[in-house]
This record gives sequence, C-alpha cells and structure tokens, in this order.
Amino acid sequence: MLECNEITKSYGKKLAVDHVTMKLEPGHIYAMLGPNGSGKTTLMKMAVGLVKPSSGEFTYQGNPVDKESRRAIAYMSTEPYFYSWMTASDVGKYYRDFFADFSMERYLYLLERMELTPDMKTKTLSSGMMAKLKIAVTMARKAKVYLLDEPLNGIDLLARDVILQSVIEECTPDAALVISSHLVDELVRIVDTAIFIKEGRLVLMGEVEDFRTQMGKSVVDLYREIYGHTGAEAESEV
Amino acid sequence: MLKLMKYEFRKTMFSKTILLVITVIAELLLLAGIVLDRDNGIGFGIVGLVLCASFGILYIGLESLLVFQKDLNTKQSYMLFLTPNNCFQILGAKVIENGLSILLGGCFFLVLGILDYTIVLTHYGELKDLLTMMKLLFSSIQIEINITTIDVIVVVLELLSSWLMTIVTGMLAIVLSATLFAGKRFSGFVSFVIFLLMTWGCMTVINHLPELSGLLDSLAALVFTTLMYLIAGWIMERKLSV
Repeated sequence: MLECNEITKSYGKKLAVDHVTMKLEPGHIYAMLGPNGSGKTTLMKMAVGLVKPSSGEFTYQGNPVDKESRRAIAYMSTEPYFYSWMTASDVGKYYRDFFADFSMERYLYLLERMELTPDMKTKTLSSGMMAKLKIAVTMARKAKVYLLDEPLNGIDLLARDVILQSVIEECTPDAALVISSHLVDELVRIVDTAIFIKEGRLVLMGEVEDFRTQMGKSVVDLYREIYGHTGAEAESEV
Repeated sequence: MLKLMKYEFRKTMFSKTILLVITVIAELLLLAGIVLDRDNGIGFGIVGLVLCASFGILYIGLESLLVFQKDLNTKQSYMLFLTPNNCFQILGAKVIENGLSILLGGCFFLVLGILDYTIVLTHYGELKDLLTMMKLLFSSIQIEINITTIDVIVVVLELLSSWLMTIVTGMLAIVLSATLFAGKRFSGFVSFVIFLLMTWGCMTVINHLPELSGLLDSLAALVFTTLMYLIAGWIMERKLSV
C-alpha cells in the first residue's frame, strides 16, 4: 500500500532519515516509536510530500506519492497549521472542498465529542483544543492511510479515549493507521505492529504479538531496551 | 483550481474590505462636498479616491506575494500542500486570483471615476465649459491628441503583461529563497534581492528587443512569465520542502 525504499533525508551534514525501507499494509494499526529527533516526523512528512527526500522515495499503490496519493492519505502534523482567520466550521468546509472522502457529519460529531464548537476561532484555541481540532478534521476523512504525528500530545485523558476510540473505528481492512507517540503505554492498547526508529534508522519493525511470543518482550520493554542505556545491546539482539 | 482561487481570495479579503471602506469614506466626502458646496470636502474626497485607486491597486497586487511568502515560510503551507493539487495548480490559482483582483479593482475604480467625473461636470456646468475651452486651445496650437482603441488595447496589454511578469518573478524569487533558505530569518530579504536581479535581467533582455511595437514587448514579457512559472512550479514540485 504505502512503502518506502532506502529513503534518506539529510539537512546539511545531519542525516534525519537514514536509508529506511518499510512497507505498510492495510488492516493494521502501527505505532511509530522513537525519541524526539529520531526521524519519525520527517518520515511521515516525506510520505505526504511535504518534505522531499534526498534519495529514495515513498510510493503509494506502486506510484510515487503525488497529488493523487494525497486523496487517500490523511496526515495530522504536530504543529498547528490552520489559517488564523478560520473558525472550526471553516476548517471543516475547507476539508470538504478539497477531500472527497471528508464527512462533515462525522466531523461535527467528533467536534462535539471533543467538546469543541464550530464557531470557535482557531487563533484563540489552546494547544490542547487545537490538537483536538486537528484530530477531529483528520479522522473525519475516510482515508486509506492515516498518518497521525503525536495525536495524544496535550490531550486530556478523556479526550485521549475519544481519539483512540475513533482510531479503532477507522481501522477497517482496507485502511492503515500509523500513530507516532511517546505515550507507549496508551498506544499498545490499540496497535498491532510497532516500528522503532532511532537516529533516523529503522531498527525494528514487527507485530506486537510476535514480540511477545517469540522474544518474550512487550513493546514497552523493547522501547526501554532500544532507547535506554542498553540500546546498543537491544539493537544487536534484533 | 477554482477552490484554490476561492481561498486565495479569502486570504486577502480583509485588506480589500479595508480598502473598500476607505474608498466609501472618500466618496462620501466628495459627494458631501459637492452637495454642500464645500471645496475642502471635494478636495479631500478627490485626493482620497486617487490614493485609494493608485496605492490600493498596487497593494492588492503586491499582497499576493506577501501571502505567498507567508504560505511557504510558515506551517500554514500545509493547508495548500496537503491538498490533492499539484504545485502548478497552486501557483496558477495564485497568479489568476491576483490578476483578477487587479482587473476587478481597476474596473471598479474606473467606473467610480467616470461616475464621479459625470457628477462633478453636471453639478459644475462651468467646469465643462472650461474643459471644452482647453480642447479648443490645444487644437488651435495644433496639439492633436489622437488616441485610438488599438492604442488603448496595446497599452492595457503592456501593463497587464508587465504586471504579470512582476508577480511571477516575485513568486519564483520566493520559491527559490524558501527552497534554499527555508525558515531562516533573512529569507524575505533574499527573496527581494533575487526578485530585483531577475527583474533587471528580464528588462535588460526586453529593452534590447527591436522597437517594432508594444505588442512585441508584451509577447516577450509573456514568454518570460511562462518560463518563470514553469520553473517555479517544477522547483516547488521536486525540491521544495515546507
């Protein structure tokens, strides 16, 4: 479905993404894990064309990502990006204008569950409310691939449950979801595949159940091993 | 692309509304001055309308570049580049919206000017006599002012093509700067320097063309415009990271 082959991104001498190859299949919820600066965000942005790779490419259904793939890929960034003159209602109308898979009905439903109202101005929203708005407008699309970059950041506990619930609802056999987050404990409740990114490299990717049965380790254990002080040992094991 | 243009227009609606409000105030001053026979009102009204027309149209034209600079150098760029549109469509929508805004703004002020001219002449009958005397005076000392429709069309085409080239040059400069110096504080200054250099280059080539007619200059400007539009679109599509 969505895959990359030896994709690399460098900023001057710094290698943000280092020859990553991976394939995302429909019907799966992926956790993309890694500390700040590991390359998760850059990888997601390259998947939607916001960042151009230094080498390699992302392909969707066998074709390089372009305007057509953006019809099927929904991306939620960490940063706020709505126009400052917009209200929540304007944001919905914008998405309805450009994305055929956007459902205004579902958007209004998600807004209500997030305790937001359509007349709220984006420039007056707190960081938590902005995060909820981004989630609502992204999950109101019926996309084939969802890339959610830190969707749980700044979100209160009850709203996190709403978000995770809407993620589960969108996980149909023909859709793939990728969620990056530091809140590993929350994510493991819903994901079936984990992707570990460290210093721009893909160090481990596999099904959560396989880690448990074959390695006897949970995702949290692996996270501690890969990114903790024993990171080098953990990488060599896998 | 119509949807892109709709939102480009929306982005500049605030400044257009301010311009409209100031124009209305100046017009009311002029009309009040005529009705109440106050020279001050007429004077302020005319000055206000002339300033609105000249600087207003200029600002409308340049604002599209300011918006584009903001679009490429802030996270608001995601609103454009996450949509299922390629960069040629995004750029094309901006250029067309800019051209239409200037054209509509120009027509608006032209119509307003003609209406005001008619009102002033009607109210001040002696002014009409003065203008007629001036025409006779020019004729008597053999200063013929013959302006044909073709001349007007050629001048309008020259202005439009020249303005279009200016806007697209500005956009290419902004794209180059954003691609090379993304997020840096001096990127706006660099955009301006690149714009000046490219404009100088284009004008140098155009000025060296044989002086056959104004249409040739317009054609050359359109060729440069097309070339720069294609280059800007290609860079955005292949190289620009936002």
